[in-house]
Amino acid sequence: MTNSQPASDEPSPPSRGKIAERLLPGGEEPDPRFTLANERTFLAWIRTSLALLAGGIAIEAFTAGLFLEPVRKGLAIVLLLLGMLLSAGAAVRWLRVERSMRNKAPLPLPLIVPLLAGAGALAAAVVLVFILWR
Amino acid sequence: MMALVTVSAIFLRWLPAHGFPILLLFAVSSAAALAIYLTQRRRYSTSSHGIARENVDADITAVLWTAFAGVVLGGLGIGVVLAA
Repeated sequence: MTNSQPASDEPSPPSRGKIAERLLPGGEEPDPRFTLANERTFLAWIRTSLALLAGGIAIEAFTAGLFLEPVRKGLAIVLLLLGMLLSAGAAVRWLRVERSMRNKAPLPLPLIVPLLAGAGALAAAVVLVFILWR
Repeated sequence: MMALVTVSAIFLRWLPAHGFPILLLFAVSSAAALAIYLTQRRRYSTSSHGIARENVDADITAVLWTAFAGVVLGGLGIGVVLAA
């Protein structure tokens, strides 16, 4: 009788896949709460991206009586591009944060924040100018 | 997942305005939502076991696929707007 052996009914940790080995090399797994928090932040950015995509199509579909066609299409494309960039940028940010946490390095600055702020301000400015001059 | 379902329903709402190309957007967002729905039980189980042993592997495949779906939706959306 011995208790020195590890409990066999506990699930063993899954081996890391090839993609994870390649994109997240080195370091050690961070605290699970931080990994899951990073994933939640990524999903929040994805929701923002989806809202922008839906908004871009909505502007094109429903503002025909409000905006001239070039303004309407321009705004729609700005919003759709922003949604695309946010989606890709969210994945890049998730990867950079995960790498930093694995290597116990300082977290990187969120580059998608100024992107979202700048493009949002640009879209708002275009709408404001158009409404004032209309 | 619910955000993708909502967005896919909103895309359908624009079918009269944009025609059948919008069905592509609906198909991509619905497929992404379905994939999340079908795999969420396994991912939940993996995460909860990981929390129990204080070691959660980052789900890089899910992150990359979700981001890819967003990029594809954006590209298709730009195509739809330019074609309108």
